[in-house]
Amino acid sequence: MMREIAYQLRVIWATARKDVRSALTDRLFTLLGLFVPANVLILMSLFVLAGSNAPTTMVMNDTGPYAQAFYQAMSQAHSFRLETATAEEAERRLAAGQAVAVVTIPPDFDSSLQQGRPVQVGVEINNLNTDFTNDIRRAIPLSITSFYAKVFPNLVSVTVNETDLYAHDTDYIPYLAVSILVIALMMGGMMQAGTTSAREWEQNTIKELLLSPASRTAIMLGKMLGAFLVGLGSTVIVLAVLILLVGVAPEYWLEVIGFTFLALLIFNTLGTLLGTLVRQRMPVIALTMGISLPLFFLSGAFGPISFSTPLLQAVAKIFPVYYQIVVLQHAFHGFSLNTLGLAGNTLVLAGFALALITLMALVLRRSTIGH
Amino acid sequence: MILNFLRATWLIWIKDLRVWLRQPLTMVVTIVPPLIFLMVQALGAEAVGRSPVALVNQDSGPQGAQIVQAIREANVFRLQEVDAAKAQALLKNLDVVAVVTIPAGFSQRLQARLGTTVDVTVNNLNLDFTNDIRRAVPDAITHYYLAQGDQSPVKISVNESDLRARDIEMFQYSVLPTLVLLLTVSGLISGGIATGREWESATVKELLLSPAPGGAIIAGKVLAGFTTSFGLGVVVLLVVYGMGWIYPEGIYWLNMLLIVGLVSLLGASLGVAIGAALRRIMPVIAVSINVALYLFFLSGGVGVLAFEPQWLQDIASFVPLTYGNHALSMALFYNSADLLGRDVLVLGLSSLAALVLGTLAVRRRSAG
Repeated sequence: MMREIAYQLRVIWATARKDVRSALTDRLFTLLGLFVPANVLILMSLFVLAGSNAPTTMVMNDTGPYAQAFYQAMSQAHSFRLETATAEEAERRLAAGQAVAVVTIPPDFDSSLQQGRPVQVGVEINNLNTDFTNDIRRAIPLSITSFYAKVFPNLVSVTVNETDLYAHDTDYIPYLAVSILVIALMMGGMMQAGTTSAREWEQNTIKELLLSPASRTAIMLGKMLGAFLVGLGSTVIVLAVLILLVGVAPEYWLEVIGFTFLALLIFNTLGTLLGTLVRQRMPVIALTMGISLPLFFLSGAFGPISFSTPLLQAVAKIFPVYYQIVVLQHAFHGFSLNTLGLAGNTLVLAGFALALITLMALVLRRSTIGH
Repeated sequence: MILNFLRATWLIWIKDLRVWLRQPLTMVVTIVPPLIFLMVQALGAEAVGRSPVALVNQDSGPQGAQIVQAIREANVFRLQEVDAAKAQALLKNLDVVAVVTIPAGFSQRLQARLGTTVDVTVNNLNLDFTNDIRRAVPDAITHYYLAQGDQSPVKISVNESDLRARDIEMFQYSVLPTLVLLLTVSGLISGGIATGREWESATVKELLLSPAPGGAIIAGKVLAGFTTSFGLGVVVLLVVYGMGWIYPEGIYWLNMLLIVGLVSLLGASLGVAIGAALRRIMPVIAVSINVALYLFFLSGGVGVLAFEPQWLQDIASFVPLTYGNHALSMALFYNSADLLGRDVLVLGLSSLAALVLGTLAVRRRSAG
């Protein structure tokens, strides 16, 4: 019994070592593959730099004190990236897609307010994208109420009294960067493990492994260990980028390390499974890159999935990416994004890992080689 | 000589196309994920910009009822009107982003011309949702004042006009980056692998020893990559058009197809150049993936480039795909051909440069 176990462990180690050595001979692939997750993290973070501040052009046809105060109210609404321009220039920017909106302060703005007459602020919106459009449509009323609260505090008697659940807001990029980390780990892990596995089948080198006396389970575990060891490098790099470059410091270091390893295990297994099922590198890559964007938007990257529609909530919970985002957001920011608790989410992820490993073992057992 | 070149190009084109058609799995896994992504966006459309909020009315007077009505009519939340205990439970279970409470005595204070508040407890773990609430509650209060007509103390109102007749939903806008990503990945990776495989499996020997010019080999491979990417792109376009998500008009269909073709050509040219330079599939995969990532995200990714910081826009001006994005967005959403000439020129020249690089790589390998 002990000899059998020792033998299986030798097979696992030998297979892992073979895969690591193969990876090291393909230096360019391995080196560039190490940086894929970090590249995904940096590049995806770039597109959210605009944050929620929509570029807006102000046409100040009145520059009196009330008009200036209204401009100030808009600039403090955390919704606009303001600049002033003439009407013609503003229209040009709007037509060229460089501004979401043009806000025009009429020439009689100050005089109308002084005399208590109604006055209209013109808002022309490039309603290309409802996300930005809605932000503008609501930020203008916010600016109006802020303006009145400051300039005519006795006139507007209904104000907002806000209480926050957390002591401070978490900015857009630190929050989103943790979600992007999960996608980056997924892409890197699946790509590395999937292409390595598929190559064995494409080049028929799997034949020697399957025909050997080594058990297929041991071979599978060895391949997973090899992919895990190779993936460690990219994990360290992407964490370093997140913590040192993006500046997101973890609240619970042990959780970060533990859950990152768990993510690596799950995605490497998924990649190996995919490579074994598909047996060609091209579909593995196409699928990995193709599913990364849908899973990113589906899995609660921007906030708790419970804030989304019931159908999306149900679909998100099918995938491990959702639970990974939950646990890593807790590890970095201390947030609880669902009601399962840390233990519950960890159990679910462990369940995914076990299920994938079992499935992988079944697939490999039933694999045959054509002549 | 020209006839020989064309004949060689045609034969290699057909050969690579046939090889590709024998891999239906590759076709499926290339086209299905983008369509799934668009479906996901469509399914989540209802939630965009409308956070789930619990509304608690503890006031029994008319002004309290009026402001509740104004909040309903503002249509800025997915509202649940509940009591205070249920609202707290919803907040705790993350079923709502915020609880909006009209406190007891709200109407009395207003009738006495005293200031009063609408209390908002918000789960501020995410600034995006938090700011939505911070904008939406004042929006609803403004609706309350607007409903008072001439009696309203708020004299500023908004006169809104929109650039286009109907709003473009987020999932509709997502067609653009989805399409660009599909074309880039498909062209780069399939073109690169198809070329790298020839060297790795030594089948390139027959090609290089044949009288076919190096340029014809490259051109044939590029055309094969272009055909497959363009075909997949057209399928996605037809699907989303059939679902009513995009509605280009008249000649802008041609603009759209032209740009899809040019982006496909760029992706395929680059992929083949990378494949010819590196000659082995694994390094080709690694380089192609990174190139695809950089091309896609530095040209705007899933965002709107014009809304990004200026330094990012300056970098993007050196990325050929930026011009593809621009031309496609003009055709898809603006029914415009603004700067089409510039965009076509940049994409065309970039594809030509990639073709030349690929040809040089083949020639160097032949001489080596």
